[in-house]
Amino acid sequence: MELLIGAWNYFISKQDLMIIVLREHVNLVLWATLLTILIGVPLGILIARTQKVRDIVLGSVSVLYTIPILAFFGFLIPIMGIGSTPALVALVIYGLLPVIRNSCVGITQVHPMVKEAARGMGTNNWQLLFKVEIPLAFPVIFAGIRTALVMNFSLATYAVFIGAGGMGRIIMQGIRTFNTSMLLAGILMVVITTVLLERIIGYVDVRIQKRFSLGK
Amino acid sequence: MTREISVELQKVSKLYGQDKVVDEVSFTVEKGEIFVLIGPSGCGKTTTLKMINQLIPHTSGNILVNGIDVAELDAVELRRSIGYVIQYIGLLPHLTIQENIAFVLKLTKQSKKMQKEKAEELIETVGLPTNYLTRYPRELSGGQQQRVGVARALAANPDILLMDEPFGAVDPLTREQLQNELLRLQETIRKTIVFVTHDIQEAFKVGSRIGILKQGKLVCLGTPMEIVKTDDEFVKSFIGQGALFEVLDTIEVSRVLEKEVPLVSENEKVDRTADILSGWDNVFVVNSDSKCLGYIPLNTLEPDGSFSKGQIISLPASSTPDISVKFAVEKMLWEGRTWLPIVDEKDGFKGIVLFRSCADLLAGDRG
Repeated sequence: MELLIGAWNYFISKQDLMIIVLREHVNLVLWATLLTILIGVPLGILIARTQKVRDIVLGSVSVLYTIPILAFFGFLIPIMGIGSTPALVALVIYGLLPVIRNSCVGITQVHPMVKEAARGMGTNNWQLLFKVEIPLAFPVIFAGIRTALVMNFSLATYAVFIGAGGMGRIIMQGIRTFNTSMLLAGILMVVITTVLLERIIGYVDVRIQKRFSLGK
Repeated sequence: MTREISVELQKVSKLYGQDKVVDEVSFTVEKGEIFVLIGPSGCGKTTTLKMINQLIPHTSGNILVNGIDVAELDAVELRRSIGYVIQYIGLLPHLTIQENIAFVLKLTKQSKKMQKEKAEELIETVGLPTNYLTRYPRELSGGQQQRVGVARALAANPDILLMDEPFGAVDPLTREQLQNELLRLQETIRKTIVFVTHDIQEAFKVGSRIGILKQGKLVCLGTPMEIVKTDDEFVKSFIGQGALFEVLDTIEVSRVLEKEVPLVSENEKVDRTADILSGWDNVFVVNSDSKCLGYIPLNTLEPDGSFSKGQIISLPASSTPDISVKFAVEKMLWEGRTWLPIVDEKDGFKGIVLFRSCADLLAGDRG
């Protein structure tokens, strides 16, 4: 109990810092997720067309995904130095797997009869993609984006290791200075914001599933 | 009168590698008819259909739609100009019924107002309430979805409709209802319809002409009546024994109705020398309202041709002229007689159907 009160007091006294780190964190994650979507969704749709390319792309992204993020940072520092750029790159690469995979799966699971009906009515390739395939794949694509976003939000705590700031700063400083109140304040902040984010995006997801759900 | 031809296939083939799925198929579809393609699965009927709107490009031969070779047309434009109906899963599940019906109009960038009006008009044409327009396909039953599919195919007002087993996914009762609706609708819209099915009863019911495919080859082509009279062993086994009755079910009894029937007024004598009597065993007695009072067997008449009222035998249960030949034959067999009187709704005597004429209908060309 005392620990919690200490953490609370620390939080109150350092409100300005808290807002700064939260902003850094959110900024990093939002940009990373945006880039992930911009790269991952078109790539996923593209590789849905051919089995061979799909295997190669999904295979290599899965390999990247298995590397621990600290090792990844270590790998990026000699190339990009420190700061938010390498952090952004690392997060984008981690977010890619679920987004690419879900976009690809979403497109391939559109029923061939539906596509044929649309083509039979005279859709050209672009109309088929934008008016039929993407809308029908959207719930699955969104689920991939959701996974990437939530995962990136918690992974971004590590960004402090290459000087990209974020909420990890509070935790790191708390560990270094044996300041338990600070450590706990940082941890609670990460946990609470992550859970909040998950709840919000979960709500959006439910709405989307309801709107687009194809279940009978 | 020259008949207008809407779709023509000239020696059309489709090869997948070395596999000849469709083998030099030729036929013409006249404007306003329902042309049915039928055959066992894998016979190439669906492939043939899809080559007409170029969902599947053909390997060789010519396909003419309204006189123009499809090879010279843009495939997308071609498909927009031809209605296409497949099993109900072909509705786009993420769009409302209105958006589904107006889909082609949206593709061709028609105004929102026009899309809405057309959807409202068409949903009524296919017999669904307009408040269904805001629903999604999954909220409709199979039969209702199929009706929407037909409405959607009509949206761009095409002359030609392609229907690929459109009623394959609904229960038999609904299917029959949809077939009847299609026939009724066809009376007003008069589209040229190419219809693929594997159900021979459906083919006989909706088809004005039927083409039977076997391993990519068109083995038989003709009206339902011509089809049942074919001597080809494959065709015979494919359509089955019951087919005869199915065809008779599609023919109205008025086609075999004898109107030249020996009649006599109730107060007259029968002229025994009249030509009309030859071949008849009975004369039919009518009153001044042309109602039939009954009949008298010729051999019970007095020598001078007169008769008394007591000699008149009342008619067996009669039928109206819109019953099918099948129904008439069944009725005759059931009652154990070789003729059936036909009257109109007001009991006016129309004539007699003879069992012999029904049999002749089938024997017809066999010689």
